Amino acid sequence: MSDVVEVSFTVNGVARSVSVEPRKTLADVLREDLGLTGTHLGCEHGVCGACTVLVNGSSARSCLMLGVQAHGAEITTIEGLSVDGELNTLQQAMWESHGFQCGFCTPGFLMQITALLAEEPNPTEAQVREVLSGNLCRCTGYQTIVEGALRAAASARSATATVRGSDLAPKEPA
Amino acid sequence: MAQVMAQRFTGTPVKRAEDPRILTGRGRYVDDVTFPGMVHAAFVRSPLAHARVVSVDTSAAKAAPGVLAVYTGPEMEALIEPGPYGMAAMMNIWPPAHSLLATDKVRLVGDLVALVVAETRYLAEDAAELVEVEYDPLPAVMTAAQALDPESPLIFEDLGSNVLAGPKVTTYGDVDRVFARADRVVRATISQHRHQNVPMETRGAVVDYRKDSGEVEIWSANQGVALVATVLSARLGIPREKVRARAADVGGSFGLKIGAQREEVAIAAASRDLGRPVKWIEDRHEHLMAAGHAREETLEVEAAVTNDGDILGLKVGIVVDAGAYPGLGGMVTNIIEGMVPGPYKIDALSFSSTSVVTNKATYVAYRGPWAAETFVRERLVDLVARELGKDPLEIRRRNLARREDNRQMVTGRSLAGITAYESLEEVLGRIDLPAFRARQETARNEGRYLGFGVATYIEPAPGTRANGPLGAEQMRMELAEDGTVLVYTAQMPHGQSHETTLAQVVADNMGVPFEGVRILYGDSAVSPPGLTGGSRSATMAGGAALTTARLLRDKVLDVAAHLLEASRDDLRIENGSVLVAGVPARAMTLAEVVGALRQPGRLPEDVDTELKVENVYDGGTGGWSGGTHCAIVEVDLETGLVRIERYLVVEDCGEVINPAIVDGQIRGGVAQGIGAVLLERSAYDAEGNYLSSTFMDYLLPTSMEIPSIEVVHLEPVPLDPVVNFRGVGEGGMICTPAAVCNAIEDALAPFGVRVLEQHLPPARILELVGVIEPE
Ligand code: FES
Ligand code: FES
Repeated sequence: MSDVVEVSFTVNGVARSVSVEPRKTLADVLREDLGLTGTHLGCEHGVCGACTVLVNGSSARSCLMLGVQAHGAEITTIEGLSVDGELNTLQQAMWESHGFQCGFCTPGFLMQITALLAEEPNPTEAQVREVLSGNLCRCTGYQTIVEGALRAAASARSATATVRGSDLAPKEPA
Repeated sequence: MAQVMAQRFTGTPVKRAEDPRILTGRGRYVDDVTFPGMVHAAFVRSPLAHARVVSVDTSAAKAAPGVLAVYTGPEMEALIEPGPYGMAAMMNIWPPAHSLLATDKVRLVGDLVALVVAETRYLAEDAAELVEVEYDPLPAVMTAAQALDPESPLIFEDLGSNVLAGPKVTTYGDVDRVFARADRVVRATISQHRHQNVPMETRGAVVDYRKDSGEVEIWSANQGVALVATVLSARLGIPREKVRARAADVGGSFGLKIGAQREEVAIAAASRDLGRPVKWIEDRHEHLMAAGHAREETLEVEAAVTNDGDILGLKVGIVVDAGAYPGLGGMVTNIIEGMVPGPYKIDALSFSSTSVVTNKATYVAYRGPWAAETFVRERLVDLVARELGKDPLEIRRRNLARREDNRQMVTGRSLAGITAYESLEEVLGRIDLPAFRARQETARNEGRYLGFGVATYIEPAPGTRANGPLGAEQMRMELAEDGTVLVYTAQMPHGQSHETTLAQVVADNMGVPFEGVRILYGDSAVSPPGLTGGSRSATMAGGAALTTARLLRDKVLDVAAHLLEASRDDLRIENGSVLVAGVPARAMTLAEVVGALRQPGRLPEDVDTELKVENVYDGGTGGWSGGTHCAIVEVDLETGLVRIERYLVVEDCGEVINPAIVDGQIRGGVAQGIGAVLLERSAYDAEGNYLSSTFMDYLLPTSMEIPSIEVVHLEPVPLDPVVNFRGVGEGGMICTPAAVCNAIEDALAPFGVRVLEQHLPPARILELVGVIEPE
């Protein structure tokens, strides 16, 4: 058994230290050592995106990172999204849009969309689809997830600007 | 009671009860379940498709750090009772006999050879690599043709051949007469390729065997806990009452996760042997390689047609490649046979079927497992049209049965209430076909190839009563102390949102708020036996929810009549309170009703004060779901890529409980159908090596390939006096491959292309139009 090393990082705003094997993935450290089972593993080879978390604000696949590589980083997982136990804007929008079905892909999509909206608060549908093309969902056909992302962007805008009403009418497909 | 209930929730897109936990990372999937002292399992799997196992040396693995045990095939056999697993157990398919882990031979790449249990998953995988297996390779049987060749080696010696079922021939109607009457016979050999379910959550289980009590608890990803418990009890040889099977959130399945499968029984046996809880979570490589594949069928079809375009009869011969171990592959042909005439006026059918075993992954159920019938029929209709120089829509209009025809399929199924014809007309009302044809013509002149395709299907969801029962649905309901309605369903949702839909139905029929209903499932100790699958839950569980809620409501009203000293006819339940007509002040909340029952002497002796109901719903009149799909595609002849420009579904699933959830089911199925045609394939080489065991090789559709999908619902045709919800889980997947392939053939019509297969990735498109040489 290989030796363990001490790793410290901030997870969802809380400073944490864990002793882990150097070979242990960040996903396994989050799930097993910190009990944050909201982050899911759909492939463990970097394709499905279910394991996506934010590392220093950027989306990262926690199955492809080692826990030790996250030393000193700020990590956000799906458990860190809601504010004071209330669903945040994105979560609310996904709820209203019926974004997901089985929910297994959900953490990855929410974290990826969080990163997108931080960078581009006003994305087009094409941009959303492009950014989400690295996350696999087997249940939904993506349409409701894309709608949820656009709805979140719209409601974030109307919360910050003086925009009246929602500019995201339920979309009539072309 | 004939009273019409106020429908506050049924029919509206109520936000899901599941979402607050799903969206916050608080779901509980099988890998999230832990037990104190839990250890981890990893399997040693075969690298060869077909081989004798000469020896298995576990000494190095046993000595590796953290290892508790390593089991070989013979060691595992000593811990279990032989018999079928998974879906084969549900259908009681045995022989072919086989061991849990390989004893004498391996039958596919990924077959189970040994089981390692260690303190962590990492250590279990380390040790699995140290297990030394010596194999004596046998020739692999990789195609149906090889399986049917008597010279090929036997995969299961006790079968005596590689034929699992058939050949079986059945005829319906006067086949000879209609073929003699036909102006011509249109022939084609049409195949579906091997592809697979691929839920985003793989399979997995945690098993805790308690040496003190002899009880075993299993948490697994499954579609029904009862069958898990039944299989585990049989294979472990322990009484069913001592097995408790559970599941909470399940990350998709689409037909795959049924019963206790070999891996789950193996870790249960290890847990009993070691007296420790054992967890096994399948990795994606194992999953894609060995969890099970679907849909490898070849159909030879002949249609007897008149020059006017009437399809008089069919001859169908199907060969199913059922893979190595028993699954659905030997039985699926029976459903295909019964369904192949579909909603068409076909007067005669001869159907022959054979299922063979090969050295590939086991054939499992996948969303509309019998969908070959729709694919082959809807392709054939277009091929008939091309051969006659007619429009495929005209052929459909001519041959589709109409509701007023009051027909039954030549195979005996009643077609009462079908709306296939209406769905086709509705599609055509929404597409400006002449404008499309003009655009197609212009595009062709510019070297761009657009195509239009439709396909029509019906699905027994659950079918009419005349088609035989699907099995009744049990449900229990009771009032909790706070007035909440507790609903014990036999369903095991894995994406279907039953916590929402069933609560909508119960809330309306009980007279309580949506939040006043709790749907409880996934625990064989308390859940009624059942299964989520076969598109049965809308009718069966929806119907059970409706009828059981009304029974419970009636019981509450009986009791409340005494408590409120009012005539029962003046009472109703609304928003969680019992109201007395005309006397608003005398209302009682349901919590107060329950509380009053606890007080001795409040009610006469002969009043039933148990506010609990057990009910069995038989499906009522039942009925069909169905619809027509339409695809407009553009095929790029430089890259071979197919872009879906527009996808329209006109669907009839009876009365819709929650339109957002129903549309989600349809779109998800359509996405899987598009993936099947354009991307997905479970590929083997000639030696039986599996070529698609990562997501770089097995390509799932992404947000870039799946377009927005328009869904339109037909006005429901009520067949049953009470329950007219019908299933919608499978239809999207059943109909899509034919619609997409029909559109692609239309696009490629200038090249004379005939699409006789379902998998059309870019390379195949380019082959079909002659840009590249076929392999
Ligand atoms: S689990 Fe990390 S990308 Fe799939
Ligand atoms: S909701 Fe099931 S995988 Fe996305």
